[in-house]
Amino acid sequence: MIHDERVATRRVAAELAEPAERARELAEKLGLRPYPVNYWVVTHDEMNELIAYDGFQTRYPHWRWGMKYDRQRKQDTFGMGKAFEIVNNDNPCHAFLQESNAPADQKAVITHVEAHADFFRNNEWFGRFAGEREDPDAAAMLERHAETVADHVSDPEIDREDIERFIDAVLCIEDTIDQHRALAAERGDDGDLATDLVDIEERLDRLGLSSEVRDQVFDTEWVDDQRDRERLPEPRPDVLAYLREHGKRFDDEEGKAVEREPWMDEVIEILRREAYYFAPQRMTKIMNEGWAAYWESLMMGDERFAGDDEFLTYADHMARVLGSPGLNPYKLGFEIWRYVENSANRREVVDKLLRVEGVTWRTFHDVIDFEEVGDLLEPDPAIAGVTADTLDDLDPEDPRVDADALARATEGDLDVDAYPWAVLTHEGLCERHFSLAKPANRGFLRRIGRSELERVARYMFDDEVYPDVASALADVDYGAGWRRMREVRESHNDVTFIDEFLTEEFVVEGNYFTYEYSEAAEGYRVASVDPDDVKRKLLLRFTNFGKPTVAVYDGNYDNRGELLLGHRYNGVALDIEQATQTLERVFDLWGRPVNLATIVTEYDDHEVEIARRRGREPAGEEVPIRLRYDGEAVERHALEPDLAEQIAADDIDYDTTPEDWLA
Amino acid sequence: MGLREDLERFREIGDERRPDLAEFIREGDLSGSSRDAVRIPVKLVDLPSFEYDQRDMGGVGQGQGGTPQPGQPVDVPGDPGDADGDEDGEEGDPGEDGGEHGYYEMDPEEFARELDEELGLDLEPKGKRVVEEVEGDFTELTRAGPNSTLDFEQLFKRGLKRKLATDFDEGYVREACRVAGADARDVFEFCREEDVLVSLAWIREAIAELEADGVSLDEYDDFEDLAARVERDPIAARIRRDGLQQVPFRREDERYRQPEVVERKQKNVVVVNIRDVSGSMRETKRELVERTFTPLDWYLTGKYDEATFRYVAHDADAWEVERGEFFGIRSGGGTRISSAYELAAEILEEYPWSEWNRYVFAAGDSENSSNDTVENVVPLMRDIPANLHAYVETQPGGNTINATHAEEVERELADRDNVVVARVAGPEDVTDAIRTILSTEGGEDA
Repeated sequence: MIHDERVATRRVAAELAEPAERARELAEKLGLRPYPVNYWVVTHDEMNELIAYDGFQTRYPHWRWGMKYDRQRKQDTFGMGKAFEIVNNDNPCHAFLQESNAPADQKAVITHVEAHADFFRNNEWFGRFAGEREDPDAAAMLERHAETVADHVSDPEIDREDIERFIDAVLCIEDTIDQHRALAAERGDDGDLATDLVDIEERLDRLGLSSEVRDQVFDTEWVDDQRDRERLPEPRPDVLAYLREHGKRFDDEEGKAVEREPWMDEVIEILRREAYYFAPQRMTKIMNEGWAAYWESLMMGDERFAGDDEFLTYADHMARVLGSPGLNPYKLGFEIWRYVENSANRREVVDKLLRVEGVTWRTFHDVIDFEEVGDLLEPDPAIAGVTADTLDDLDPEDPRVDADALARATEGDLDVDAYPWAVLTHEGLCERHFSLAKPANRGFLRRIGRSELERVARYMFDDEVYPDVASALADVDYGAGWRRMREVRESHNDVTFIDEFLTEEFVVEGNYFTYEYSEAAEGYRVASVDPDDVKRKLLLRFTNFGKPTVAVYDGNYDNRGELLLGHRYNGVALDIEQATQTLERVFDLWGRPVNLATIVTEYDDHEVEIARRRGREPAGEEVPIRLRYDGEAVERHALEPDLAEQIAADDIDYDTTPEDWLA
Repeated sequence: MGLREDLERFREIGDERRPDLAEFIREGDLSGSSRDAVRIPVKLVDLPSFEYDQRDMGGVGQGQGGTPQPGQPVDVPGDPGDADGDEDGEEGDPGEDGGEHGYYEMDPEEFARELDEELGLDLEPKGKRVVEEVEGDFTELTRAGPNSTLDFEQLFKRGLKRKLATDFDEGYVREACRVAGADARDVFEFCREEDVLVSLAWIREAIAELEADGVSLDEYDDFEDLAARVERDPIAARIRRDGLQQVPFRREDERYRQPEVVERKQKNVVVVNIRDVSGSMRETKRELVERTFTPLDWYLTGKYDEATFRYVAHDADAWEVERGEFFGIRSGGGTRISSAYELAAEILEEYPWSEWNRYVFAAGDSENSSNDTVENVVPLMRDIPANLHAYVETQPGGNTINATHAEEVERELADRDNVVVARVAGPEDVTDAIRTILSTEGGEDA
């Protein structure tokens, strides 16, 4: 599929080899540690195909890829959502660049990709899949999966439509996994799925129990009757695994549940694994895109990686990506990262300033001359403005200077005008790009709140260390911001990222607000600008991929082998129509009747009328229900109180509608 | 590549799951379509999953200029029926999956075909106006013409026929000349009897030649002797043996091809949509009108080569409007339906009946000023020639006392076969109304 024979492609690819190398070098100097990246240049159409396949060349046969491709091509044609690149999470990463991108765009893309590759490698959520070997082995895995499914499809004994329908059913619930689980441990070294599954004996072997214990505890009866279990002590969030292990299929002819075909189990496991593979990407989208945007902006903008003449095109590029109105996830991530950096740097600076004689957290804002501080924080001119002519100003002994590179530059082996950063070390770059010195962030230091100042000062023992501000600032660790960023990119996911770093300051500065649907006005209205409300709403959108959490509550409901799924209700109701349709598909994977416990909000028509006339919101009633599908029809029942209690969560209220809303 | 197959399969499924038109007309979102593109929102080619109820979920937005105020409207993409506001709601994640609404797009022709099938219609658009004389196939033959149009085949065939007709077995005739005591005339008569087409002159010449060559003229005792001893050589065999040496071409065999003159009649149509916009026509009724008229318009656009639409709104007066405003207007006045027909008659003067197919569709809630229907509207409907005059009564919840227009029209014009009345009380009646209207046309001449 990659047409390397074409002259144009080869030429473009050759042109990109050097920038790619330089970008890698710069990224590493900036403190990143990316997976190796293989760059490919592809045509417009190839790009659309790759995007359809999530960045890979082979996927199992299914119409969903056709749908994605169709959609991507439509968006592309209408000029929206132009894809500059796609990179996949693998070691090495494969990054695909559009051959039609302008050179400035290509460079921007490369820097962007390097940052993604760093994120994939270092974020621990990705690590849960890749394991300690740091090897997602994704392309190979997906190819194996594709082959396996394709084999089944071409098997004359199996009806192709059955396979498709089965895959359809599994896809409906492909998000019902336990994304917090470390799947790495579960993955064998070589993926022969069939044996992985079927041989429970082997799995028991791996537990390493003594044969006595094993035979006693896991006797054949237990092994055979695994499904006849009582209500689960704890709800199982990995619904797919549960269905794979205990589900059967309904045979129309026999009119009852029978064992599945082996290919079915395989297919569930394949799709489940893929869901786990992609889960970290979906859980860290804001972070990852923000991360990539940040480093791209730094490399392209601040380090002029694009070159002066290409800079304007780049600025345009960035504007397009980040400029769209409304809540842009990329922009959100980007801004939060900047906030993380600034906060950490601010904390570092404040820490030093509070140790100046005569400066306390109470007197801070009165005593400190922020203009002066701003000037002092500026990077050393020799570090900030490196050119071929200023090389003599650089001291090879200086820890901020890369002595070897400096030597090469002096000899003319290194183009310092194009790559000034090359003669600096990481430390040098930290100073060069210290965020609080940048004009955009000038006011940030001053905006620190008193309570934070107090917190910093609270456990400070040596608080009279520096005679004056200048000497204090001389000791500032310019790398504080980036170090904190690196820590965060390792440990957080979107939910914890937002939870921790979306502060009041951030919300107010950005004019963020929540909106709710108003029955009275028959449309959406701004509901709240309270930072806590905004945060909660965002968390709602990102927790569990923005979807309701559904878990298995009982595998033998009503003592009739029925499945009971429970929606962990957090105040936001399910889309009942979709839930009903999904439930019907779950039946295909269980074989016996399936149930879904949830809570719906009911409105009294009369009440709605009155409320509407008075411009108020009608008060609905929360009703716990159980939907049941037996293969023929969906019924609605009342839900037993103890189950209702189990699924209802009382902690967070995601409704941000204010009292006197539209009055 | 695998993706090609996946794409094909996706298209196949899309076709299978396309919502039927009746459902779309009854309750679908008509706003995505335009005059020339019927867009049926299809959210079906995607799989269901456990999702939050969108409205219950709400969302987060970022204000563009300054602090947003609670209560301000928010424009949320993907939610129909929301207000336009200054603030912007959430952007969807580019490339994120799940629950997106695509649409199935068809042009009016396809729509018309589908509707035909679904509703069992078979409207045949009539060609009316002669647009041009077009050259058809080259099937006419004339005696004269440019060389390039010479029909050589004809020429050859005729020549061949001539040859076959005039060729004769020369050898045989020559032998016949050698019958004892036979002179030219005898030979000539003999040949005639034998169906040998030879001329007297030729025989005389042949005899003369034979004499000159010293060939005996008494070879045969008599003609019987000749017949017994000499075999005739049929022409077919001769041609086969000797080949077709020469085909005699004659001027009079020449034929030249000319194109047929075909009159192409354009199938065109003008549709006058009339709507009562008086105070009594509230939201529900307006929507019913839209649901009825819009598919009719698409249908006719699809069936005819050229379709023109004129829109007339009326209360006690009538005035012409643009399509965009047509469904939304509401005035406060009373109702005089004849005003609309007067205006319609004026408008239709631009579209002579001899050249245009015409449809006059009117809709309202059957309310009209007293006697206006019988005294004014009915005569106008009689006088305005049209393929079809239709009245659509949108009267949710049954008739009110004064709403008698539909009834009266039906009664007074029962004798006409180009008048139809349809009643729509709710969305479920729309497709029936459309069917009734479109299957009524018939019987009149172009």
